[in-house]
Order: sequence, then C-alpha cells, then structure tokens
Amino acid sequence: MTAAASRLGGRLLGGYFLLFAIFLYAPLVVLVIFSFDDSQIQTLPYAGFTLRWFRAVFSNGDLIASVQRSAVIALFTALGATLLGLITAVAMTAHKLALRGIVVALVLLPLVIPYIVLAVGLLILLNTLGLRQTLWAVLLGHIAVSVPYCLLIILPRLRTIDQAIVDAARDLGAGAWVAFRRITLPLIVPALLSSAIIAFTISFDEFAIASFLVPAGKETLPVYIYSGSRTPALQPQVIAIGAMVVVASLLVVTAAEFFRARAERRLRV
Amino acid sequence: MTVTSAPTIQRNGLLARLHGRAGRGWLVVPTIAFLLAVLILPLILIGFYSVNLMTNLIGVPTEFSLRYWEDFLPPGSNPFWDRFQTSMVITLLVSVAAVIAAYPIAYYLSFVARRRRYTLLLLILAPFFTSYLLRVIAWKVILANNGVINSALWQLGLRDHGDGVTWLIYSWFSVALVLFYTWVPFVALPIYVVLENMDTRLLEAAQDLGAGRLKTFLRVTLPLSLPGVIAAFVFVLIPTTGEFIAPLLVGGPQSYMFGNTIQGFFSDSPNWNYGAVLAVWLIAIVLVLVLLFGRFLSTDLRESKAPA
Repeated sequence: MTAAASRLGGRLLGGYFLLFAIFLYAPLVVLVIFSFDDSQIQTLPYAGFTLRWFRAVFSNGDLIASVQRSAVIALFTALGATLLGLITAVAMTAHKLALRGIVVALVLLPLVIPYIVLAVGLLILLNTLGLRQTLWAVLLGHIAVSVPYCLLIILPRLRTIDQAIVDAARDLGAGAWVAFRRITLPLIVPALLSSAIIAFTISFDEFAIASFLVPAGKETLPVYIYSGSRTPALQPQVIAIGAMVVVASLLVVTAAEFFRARAERRLRV
Repeated sequence: MTVTSAPTIQRNGLLARLHGRAGRGWLVVPTIAFLLAVLILPLILIGFYSVNLMTNLIGVPTEFSLRYWEDFLPPGSNPFWDRFQTSMVITLLVSVAAVIAAYPIAYYLSFVARRRRYTLLLLILAPFFTSYLLRVIAWKVILANNGVINSALWQLGLRDHGDGVTWLIYSWFSVALVLFYTWVPFVALPIYVVLENMDTRLLEAAQDLGAGRLKTFLRVTLPLSLPGVIAAFVFVLIPTTGEFIAPLLVGGPQSYMFGNTIQGFFSDSPNWNYGAVLAVWLIAIVLVLVLLFGRFLSTDLRESKAPA
C-alpha cells in the first residue's frame, strides 16, 4: 500500500477505527433506545416500545419553560459572541495592534480557565454588586466562553480574503465601512454562520456556569436535566428529551459542515 | 523636487491605507472591556476572597490574612491536598490513555482512509458537539447498578440477578471512563493535523534506506508527530483538571475530584474563602500547564496576516 501502512496494517487500523466509532456512538444509541422503553427504570430486558415519555416531556410545563429559556439565552449568546468575535477578528488583521500578545492571551483565556472558576467568579461578582442570581449572568458567562471559539472560526476566513479586492474598493472611493460591508462581510458569511451555530450549541448545552447562576425556579435546560437525572420519577423524561437533543445536535453538526463545505467550494470557484 | 512627488503621493496613499488597517485595532476595545468585566474582575475578586480581603462569613472581620492558604498549604496535611493529588493522577491517566487511544485513529485517517477522511473525521468529532451532560447521563444508564451492562450480565446468566459489578459506577473507574470518552475524539484532531501535514517523502526515504515500517514509524513518524501528541495531551489535561460534572453524576463522594471540592465550598457548605483559595490554586496549575505547553498549541493568532 503506502510507506505508512501495509495492507494488513491498514485493515487492522480500519477495524480499530470501527470499534472506536462504535464506542463513541454506543452511549448515544443507548439513550435513544431507552427513550422508547416502556419502563420507569432503564434496564434489560427491554420492556417494550412506548411514546409515553415523549408525551410526558411535551406536557411538562417546567421542562418546556427550561427549553425556552435555554433557547433564548443560546440565541443571544450566538449573536453576542459572533459580533464580539467578528470585531476582534477584524482588529487582529490590523498591521499594528497595541499589546497584541496580551490581547490574544486575554481573548483566549476562557478556553483554559476551568468553567467552575468562571462560575464561582461570576457568583462572587453578583454578590459583590449586591445582585441575586440571574439569567443575565448566565448569558454574559456564555458569551465569554464562546468568544474564543467564534474568533478562531472567523479569523482564518477573514485572512483568506485577498486584500487587493478591498484595496480596489477603497481606491474606487468606498469608505472603510462601505468596503467592509460590501466586500468583506459577504465573503465571511459562512464563517459567521458556523460561529453562531457553535456559540448557540455551547450555550444551549452549558451546565457548569448555569448551575451556579440560575435563579431558583428559572432553570435552563441542562440544569433541569441534571436535577431530573437525580429524580427517579423524572429520569425517563430526561432520557427522552436527551435523545431528542442528541439527535438534533448531530443533525445540526452534519448540516452545518455540509453547508460550510459547499459554501467554501463555491467561494473558491 | 517635482521628480519625487509621484512616489510621495504613492507612499502617502500607502500610508493612508496602512493607517486605515492600523485604525481597526481599536475594534478590540469592546471585547477587551467585556472580558475585563466578566472574566478578569471576577478572578480578582476570587483573589480577594482567598486572602480574606472579602468574605461571605457573617461576623468575620475582613483583613488581609493568609490563614486560609495556611490551611491548604503545606502539602500533605489536609484532605483538600489529598483530593487534589488523587484528582491530578486521574487527570494524567485519562490524558495519557486518550492520547494513546486516539493516535491510531489519527494515523488511520491521514494515511489509510484517503478520500473518505473528512467524512470519517466528522463522524468521530460529531459526538463531541452533543451535550456533555447528556453523554454523561447516557453512561449512567449503561453503568448503573441495574443498568445496561449489569442487567445484560444477569440476562446472559453470567451473574446472579441483582448481583451487579460494584465498581462499574460511583467509582474512579466510571469517572475516568467518562472523562476518557468525552475527550478522546477531540484528542485525535491535533494529532491528525500534524500527521496530515507531514512530508510523506520522509517516510519513503526511510524505507528506501532499508527501514521497515515499524522502524520508520518509531524513528520518523512518531518523533515528527510529537508536537501534535503534546498538544493533544494538553487538550485533555487542561479541561479535566477542573472537572466536576462527571464525578457528580457517575462518581461518588469517594471519587469526587478537586473541582467538586471547590463546588462544595460554594454550594453545600458555603465557605467562599476556602473555595477561593482552591480556585486560585486551580488557575495557577492551569496557567503553569499553559506556560509549559503553550508553544505546542496554535500560534496562529500572533501574526497579523496568514503566511502566503
């Protein structure tokens, strides 16, 4: 075959890859299978097929409210983090950026600071300001942890833009803003969409920060799922909503990658 | 004098343009201000709590004091320190295991999978983008005392009904397994990137010079891929160092990690000062890791322009 692997080696690696993929998907499949299990306890033998847990989910007002809260926070996180990511990315393409090293370190800091530290830090901040736990704090925390991902998605795309096109627009009389809006922005739309989708996903799934900052009775979906998973009566519903969220995430990731790849191909042509 | 005017105009144009690009630098200001308020200010407040300049305890005077630090340091004399050490051992084991397990996957993708590689890479990464909490809960269903594995053993008659394998859940095993599961797909990525960019002519050259495939791998491929391996290692090490969710769900009080100790001081038995000391310690550990290994992570952002 190649210098890297013999035919047999290639087959062995292929077999290993298959086992690895099974290992990665098995828990997700288990979640989906047991969401249809007609039993309060998830155990074998399988008790039979039912949709009652899904019906229970859709008639559980607390759960639906938590989904709505999470969706709204995730939406605003997507907008806020993408906007901050975009302006930071534009600033980073400047030839001269004062204290570039420090700026980069600060923007990437949320990637390495443990979420538990961010969470207790925000809790202390609220306390110092004399405020109670609030969903606004959850939103701010989610934007902070999403910005580096948005920047890392937008910046590489921004750098691939041929500066000559922008310069041409400027020479033809376009101001900096017009050149940006008419030339640069349309070229980075795919990256902005990926950035928004990633930020949305991060926020929608985020538990650690939310668990410290949500007010009582105003749980986000992950906080509701966590407490539900420790309440035997709610566990089947948690698994049903979990199965839906997992399947939806996998579809979104696949679709996002599909559209990104197609858009990139088109732009290249 | 007029001879120089043309180039001068040109240079002015260029300068104006350069100035335009330099002017964009100000666009970082909102982001910086936001992060200073939401990230740096809270970290400073944590620092204040750790030295008793602030406190949540009623009736305790706030004055500079290292007494909370003295209870945590020196090492070896308190339960927090034991928890920290055990926690770091688990973190290291998980990181090493994840790198070893992910390497053949990256190798397969870059050298064997050929045209399908991007599809397969996405296949591996996709679970990483589903909810972390839900993946942990899925493992709880699998590992629980009457969960999928135990009940399957009963159904197959391999164990008596009701007699579950006790170490499957609420143990260090379950915590380590779930952390491994969480990070292993992500770890394949940096190794894959390094292997993908490797000059395969070097491998051919090694074989032309008489090295077998194993020797080629050990003497050429592996050493050249080390930066990716180290990056991968750090990719797991840093986030798992502060972990507290997996131990909450599939671990027990015996297998709680350092993050759980911090969480405890801010929820169940509130003593924010102790919690702040442990949080500062955790940040210090993570920053040391970043300083040690940071150069293996992307330096992409340090330049103003991509290389041609």
